[in-house]
Amino acid sequence: MRLRLRFSKIGKVRFVGHRDVARIIERGLRRCGVPVTYSEGFSPRVRLSFGLALPTCYESEAEYLDIPLDPESVVDGDVVCTGWREGTTNSIEQLRTALNEALPTGFEVVTLVIEPKVGPSLQESIISCTWRFDIRGGNLELVQRAIVAALESSTIEADRKKKNEILRENIRDGIYDLRADGTSELGPIVVAELSAKPRVIRPSELVEVLAPGTELGVARRTHQWIEREGARCEPLALNNSRTIKDLA
Amino acid sequence: MTSLWPRLEPLLPRVEKPARYIGCEDGARTDIYKPEATSWLLTYPDTYEIGLPNQGLQILYELLNERPDAFAERSYAPWTDLEAEMRRARLPLFSVDTHRPAAEFDIIAFNLSAELVYTNVLNCIDLAGLRVRASERDDSDPLVGAGGHCAYNPEPLADFVDFFVMGDGEEVISEITDIVGAWRETGKPSGSRDTVLHALARIDGVYVPSMYNVVYDGPKLVSVEPRHSDVPPIIQKRTVADLADWPYPRNQLVPLTEVVHDRLNVEVFRGCTRGCRFCQAGMITRPVRERPASQIREMVSKGLERTGYDEVSLTSLSTADFSDIEKVVSDTIDEPGTCGRVSIALPSLRVDAFTVGVAAQVSRARRTGLTFAPEAGSWRMRQIINKLITEDDLYGAVRSAYSQGWHRMKLYFLTGLPSEMDDDTLGIADLVQNCVEIGQQYTKKASVTVSLGGFVPKPHTPFQWFGQNEPEELQRKVDLLRSKVRHNKRIQLKWHSPGASTAEGITSRGDRRIGRAIEYVWRRGGVFQEWSEHFDLALWQEAMNASGLSLEWYVHRHREEDEVLPWDHIHAGLHKDFLWQDWQDALAGYGLEDCRWTPCYDCGACTEYGIEHVVASPAPPNGGSQGTGQDLATGHLVPVELRPRAGVGGT
Repeated sequence: MRLRLRFSKIGKVRFVGHRDVARIIERGLRRCGVPVTYSEGFSPRVRLSFGLALPTCYESEAEYLDIPLDPESVVDGDVVCTGWREGTTNSIEQLRTALNEALPTGFEVVTLVIEPKVGPSLQESIISCTWRFDIRGGNLELVQRAIVAALESSTIEADRKKKNEILRENIRDGIYDLRADGTSELGPIVVAELSAKPRVIRPSELVEVLAPGTELGVARRTHQWIEREGARCEPLALNNSRTIKDLA
Repeated sequence: MTSLWPRLEPLLPRVEKPARYIGCEDGARTDIYKPEATSWLLTYPDTYEIGLPNQGLQILYELLNERPDAFAERSYAPWTDLEAEMRRARLPLFSVDTHRPAAEFDIIAFNLSAELVYTNVLNCIDLAGLRVRASERDDSDPLVGAGGHCAYNPEPLADFVDFFVMGDGEEVISEITDIVGAWRETGKPSGSRDTVLHALARIDGVYVPSMYNVVYDGPKLVSVEPRHSDVPPIIQKRTVADLADWPYPRNQLVPLTEVVHDRLNVEVFRGCTRGCRFCQAGMITRPVRERPASQIREMVSKGLERTGYDEVSLTSLSTADFSDIEKVVSDTIDEPGTCGRVSIALPSLRVDAFTVGVAAQVSRARRTGLTFAPEAGSWRMRQIINKLITEDDLYGAVRSAYSQGWHRMKLYFLTGLPSEMDDDTLGIADLVQNCVEIGQQYTKKASVTVSLGGFVPKPHTPFQWFGQNEPEELQRKVDLLRSKVRHNKRIQLKWHSPGASTAEGITSRGDRRIGRAIEYVWRRGGVFQEWSEHFDLALWQEAMNASGLSLEWYVHRHREEDEVLPWDHIHAGLHKDFLWQDWQDALAGYGLEDCRWTPCYDCGACTEYGIEHVVASPAPPNGGSQGTGQDLATGHLVPVELRPRAGVGGT
């Protein structure tokens, strides 16, 4: 069995890097007595399996994490806790509340499920991500024009830093959706669905294309997409009762 | 209240490790702003990663935030990339808790844990928007304070800092808050700064440099004397008598990004009377005050449960000396909430107290790194520095560790010690090779990392009169050892930069005039001097020349018995004649037993303040006076002499 959870990372904590997020969550799981499993070896670590790593400085409403559970610790859909919560049994909703109390402000577990461990890992299954970001110092009209031009063209060249060299690559095929969506206090807002395979395309690469000489404002991942039975869907859809707008 | 966050946020994507600047730690207080309260900005003048875990700062942070009429926030030195962005954007130093500008606080207080951060102190004052020289600041500017071990020689920073605190801060911080609070209520009118400083100077343990005149005779210091009759000529350190009264921090900060010592830290005792003559911490923090074992247990289990950490460090200057340490370790591992998955770090282990029993307990959980500090390569040298552990003690500890499953360990040594000869330095190689051989009896992977530091004499120690080795001499000794161990792939030698030791020497025993050199280095961009990528000895040499100060005078010469030392007006309890006698005993090779288990010889640390050791066990953890069973009074046959300054070869 595994616990799959979807969480958000919004506000100041957007500056926390991926590895640090893993450590934060590990501490949170331990505080809540989640019956996690450990790797073998000299220095056993909690087994955690994330979706696509979120770049530092980016926000997200759609982070995913799979946590393999000791099968005996799931009884009638509830979790039998260990460690500091030894002797307590939590429903999914109780566990969600407990985790949110244990995690720092800015992290919020939005939904979680217990399900059988099947299929490829999250990281392997993600095909694309949808992003919403603003462009600091950009001009809405110019950005809109740049979007039209980009979508009409068969090549969009973007620079990518790789170690010490800068590669110039055509990223057109990795752009599934691209549109302007009004303005924030920083500048024009862009919504884009960008491929995760064969390589991950980041919003920062688009900024130079859409508004040269400007800077990425705040970027937020709103969706990570997988394919299930031929249809594009999310690893965990949000509860109907909560819309993502409540988060912001 | 002003928040600089909206202006800081756009800068952060441009810098390394931006999570350093966001705060948001578990345990941080963002709700404590009170417009009428006395506010402290507790500042660690090095990076967030180094500064966040500092226990002293965290203790004061909690204590101040418990007061209804005060609050404290924290700040750390921004790394050079952010500093450049801040200066370009005219953004001042800020607190990480609520991102308020530093200049809005009543007090900016620095923790001084190492001398090489002094230029960062100036940089932080400047980034706060204040004049770096105390005499040029305005009445309504924040007061700049400093405390921590380096404050025991405050003179090098005397021109820049308004007040220093000597010793344990738990009690005195409250008294300072009262005085500053009263000043705050008056609206800090013109001319009032001198009055509040005068009032602070009358608090026990507080030193206000501007209340003292310094007299020189050429390069010699003649006196440091109070300018007012009600200001004490000697500043006495503060000591909390019983750690049981101070179970802090209760809510250790849990950072969102990885820092050094990233685990639960529980202080098990304060002070150390092993009497190692090079060790400033052991001299100035006396007497030994153990925390009750039951309180440690509670702090460990509550702390682990609250933070979610799976590692705890039992901290002190020599943790294996804690009474019944084995029981404390086993209780920690057996704490049911951890499911047996807690690792225990025991920093600062004495080899003569590290037994198979302790090793076995620690290794029941995940094994943490092991570090021992024999400090010197020969028994002769260890007698001189009073680190009275025999080779067999070391081998016993190493055997305990390897037999309990460790594959490698780290050994700390010093070089450049008084009367050191090349045989002493080379003795390190023999010791380490023997340790590796012992390890190989247990594991094929056995290895040892040797960390070699250049000795910097520190104020308030018996070695305060000793002339530090020149960087060339330290480098020669490093190379000597390196050539001896190079062929052995199981020995990894790391060494501290001899140049950095020289700069540390300048600031460690300097007088007030050294402030000129510190300011010179800072003005030429010499910040983060603890970091090799930013350190440049040539800049310090240039600064000394430009300030008309001599490296030979401040660093390399031996001091005279009757000389006025720049910190003589600061009293850590230790009588100067006790220290001088201990210095003479060192040169004669006489050891001195640990007074927590043997009669007092009146060093002054207890008797001066009417306090005593708080130690649960009447006997040392591993038998004998120091576990050595040596006849300590014998000394070596030929009394050693210090090398004349012009000499070459051994010191």
